[in-house]
Amino acid sequence: MEAAAPQGFRQRLQQLPRGFIYLLMALVVVWQLLFPLPMPISPSATTKGVYDAINKVPPGKLIVISADWDASTEAETGPQMTAIMHACFRAKKPFALLTLSPPAGAKLANDRAVAVAEQYGAKYGVNWCNWGYKYGYENIVMSLAKNIPATLKSDFHGDPISALPMMTGVKDYRDLGLVIEVTGLANVTEIWLGFLRGPFGTPLAAGYTAVMAPGYYPFVDSHQMAGMLVGAKGAAEMEALVEHPGDATRIMNVQSWAHLLIIALIVVGNLGYLLARGGGRR
Amino acid sequence: MNSLEHANWFMRALFFTLSAVIVASVLSAQRGRAMYIRRIPGLSAIEEAVGRATEMGKPIFFSPGLAGIGITTLQALSILAHIVRLAATHATRIIVGTADATVLPVAEEAVREAYDSAGRPELFRPEDVRFVSDSQFAYALGSVGLMSRDQTATNFFFGQFFAEALILTENGRSLGALQVAGTPDPVQIPFFIATCDYVVIGDEYYAASAYLTREPTQTGSLVGQDVVKAGLIALLIFGLGLVTYLAGHAPNGTVLSHLLTLLKAGS
Amino acid sequence: MWRSLQIGLSQLFSPAHSTGELVAYVVGALLASVLVLALLHKGLGWRGKRRLTMAVTFTAGLFFALEYFYPVRMVAGRQRNFLTDYIQPANEVLAIIMAFTVGLGIYSLIQVHGRNVLRQRRGWCNSLAFFLSMVVMFGFTLADNYIKVSDPPPAVLPYPKASFEILFNGLFMPLQSATFSLLAFYIASAAYRAFRVRTLEAGLMMAAAFVVMLGQVPIGAWLTHSLPVTGYHGIPAFFRLENLGEWVMTWLNTPAQRGITFGVAIGALAMSLRIWLSLERGTFFSEQS
Repeated sequence: MEAAAPQGFRQRLQQLPRGFIYLLMALVVVWQLLFPLPMPISPSATTKGVYDAINKVPPGKLIVISADWDASTEAETGPQMTAIMHACFRAKKPFALLTLSPPAGAKLANDRAVAVAEQYGAKYGVNWCNWGYKYGYENIVMSLAKNIPATLKSDFHGDPISALPMMTGVKDYRDLGLVIEVTGLANVTEIWLGFLRGPFGTPLAAGYTAVMAPGYYPFVDSHQMAGMLVGAKGAAEMEALVEHPGDATRIMNVQSWAHLLIIALIVVGNLGYLLARGGGRR
Repeated sequence: MNSLEHANWFMRALFFTLSAVIVASVLSAQRGRAMYIRRIPGLSAIEEAVGRATEMGKPIFFSPGLAGIGITTLQALSILAHIVRLAATHATRIIVGTADATVLPVAEEAVREAYDSAGRPELFRPEDVRFVSDSQFAYALGSVGLMSRDQTATNFFFGQFFAEALILTENGRSLGALQVAGTPDPVQIPFFIATCDYVVIGDEYYAASAYLTREPTQTGSLVGQDVVKAGLIALLIFGLGLVTYLAGHAPNGTVLSHLLTLLKAGS
Repeated sequence: MWRSLQIGLSQLFSPAHSTGELVAYVVGALLASVLVLALLHKGLGWRGKRRLTMAVTFTAGLFFALEYFYPVRMVAGRQRNFLTDYIQPANEVLAIIMAFTVGLGIYSLIQVHGRNVLRQRRGWCNSLAFFLSMVVMFGFTLADNYIKVSDPPPAVLPYPKASFEILFNGLFMPLQSATFSLLAFYIASAAYRAFRVRTLEAGLMMAAAFVVMLGQVPIGAWLTHSLPVTGYHGIPAFFRLENLGEWVMTWLNTPAQRGITFGVAIGALAMSLRIWLSLERGTFFSEQS
């Protein structure tokens, strides 16, 4: 519930107008977008886990990147996808995109893959492909365990999966070297953990939005996941590892100062609170 | 054998033991054994929150979250039914906005029957239980629109929420509403705590039906949960100690090494 | 007998081979459902309905529970028991039933907004805008699905496809992103208003929050970049903000998350048992009107 109108400087410190806070935040974001102060980025252990997992995929095995995100989380999951694809192309590991939910993820991921593939001269169907959006969650994952071509039938463009050269010989989970789940949705990773990592031991890694990542540290800690990218920071760290700074690196400049602003506001609020409390005691 | 796809011997033993403890506790409560539940501030505040809306002559908004029909949403609807029964005694209007089409008919039925059981069936308005959108942010903005147009005095958020939680609650706060939230998912709890007056977290959420109704079956189940939790903690400590000891003192081929292998296979 | 039952069921539920057969199946299934529901409604009192609900709930739960707990044998490298092959069809049936309810949501929206427009209530223009946007988006989405273009697409797309692109990629997607970005402003104002150091515990929490927030961004790493990475038994390196933040997340946050997850899982188990065994009380579970 809203409090009564502020009285005095100490109260005012605790009750800055909401509009003023929004204006400060907008100014900080615009300032850093226009005049960035770049800072070095050092990759964390969880990000290195994803990078190493990609590089450790045995020859002849496929990587599946599950693009389960849409425009609402694109600021974080989009750069994560791009950085992961850079890592796959650099390591010359073929990968397939898949979307369990939401449907928009298939096209968004495809657009990014086309742009990145162009930089490496990678060919669709040879170095990468897009299995498209498949409805069914755990049903799809369970079906893929038995027969990948029969489950998928066609790719994102509607062409038969069996016509893609890179899908020759790919039958079931035993032909997969790694699954990377990039998502802003809860409870999707658990499907991969339950129906892939558990039964077959296929390595699993992930990319999450920063707000949901804390809940998945237990899985990384217990080695059920090889690693994870945490929000835009994870994407920026991956960009640093693949030596290809992009959107996430720019976002981190903005995020640095936005975090400082939030910390400053909390300090101001607490200063007002302590001063008011101290003034009340006298 | 991994226990994620099918149960192994350990999972079977664990599940049946845990279930037996919970069911035994329920039966014990049904036979009249008194059971104590500590105060849960978020749930105690429900009556105060309904009272505030009644005094101000403004409606209440209830959101059962974004998930489909499942235990989280069913628990939310159980809490909704309790709130409706409280509100019906004072003819306070309740608006329910759902984000899943499968929840809509169940919510409508829950509200209708709650008004019936409170003896006020004439207060039920079908248009007050409505589908807003299944798109996350469209739901958030649509619900905020409902709150601001109808000038709700109290907002309840119980169920599974995601990123839209902060949009809902911050806007509700700016409109001056008293807000009570509850979710079992730890990710959104910090946002609820920062913006709501009362928050029900973690397994307090699943204790709601027992706490609100004080029915023997419900309280027995709740006490059974606590006994199970204590048992699991003891098992964890025992298992941790045993594996740590065996790892250092179990030469290959001995009984102890076989026990260690068995314990690892049970995981 | 089990084998005969399987054969009978597979003959009854065999796929349709022609459009006529499919239409006959659908119409027949609809009529049969309506008949069965009408008979149940007329023939059963509230006690009978309650018992039927309890029986169906128990059987449905038993199917999935039995499939998980029944002993398995390895067949072609997969764990299997006599129910495993029916799990996927059962999930597909559930998905189809859920799909029927999509229409309910649209019906509810049409009902509410239709009433606003017909009675010209306050804000009826917004309801009119809802109908307009629903019809326009529906139309262009259908057009986008059915109009095929060459690969790569031409420089100038056909009007319906171009309109879909503008509405979906040009309007809907940016709106979603914009709404998500509101959270940055809201969290700033919520954090400023809510976080007050009233107790020692709140102070500790605040300190941990500052460490994690700064550890997550490059400026935090820059603030402590002068601390040596190696040497001195790694103690100075531990206090670099990015390392300290990582330590808080893995050594403090992870056990807390595990604890909450355990508690919630046990609560969910108890609630699931109550629903499965129909012990749960509530308006729509068991009490009569």
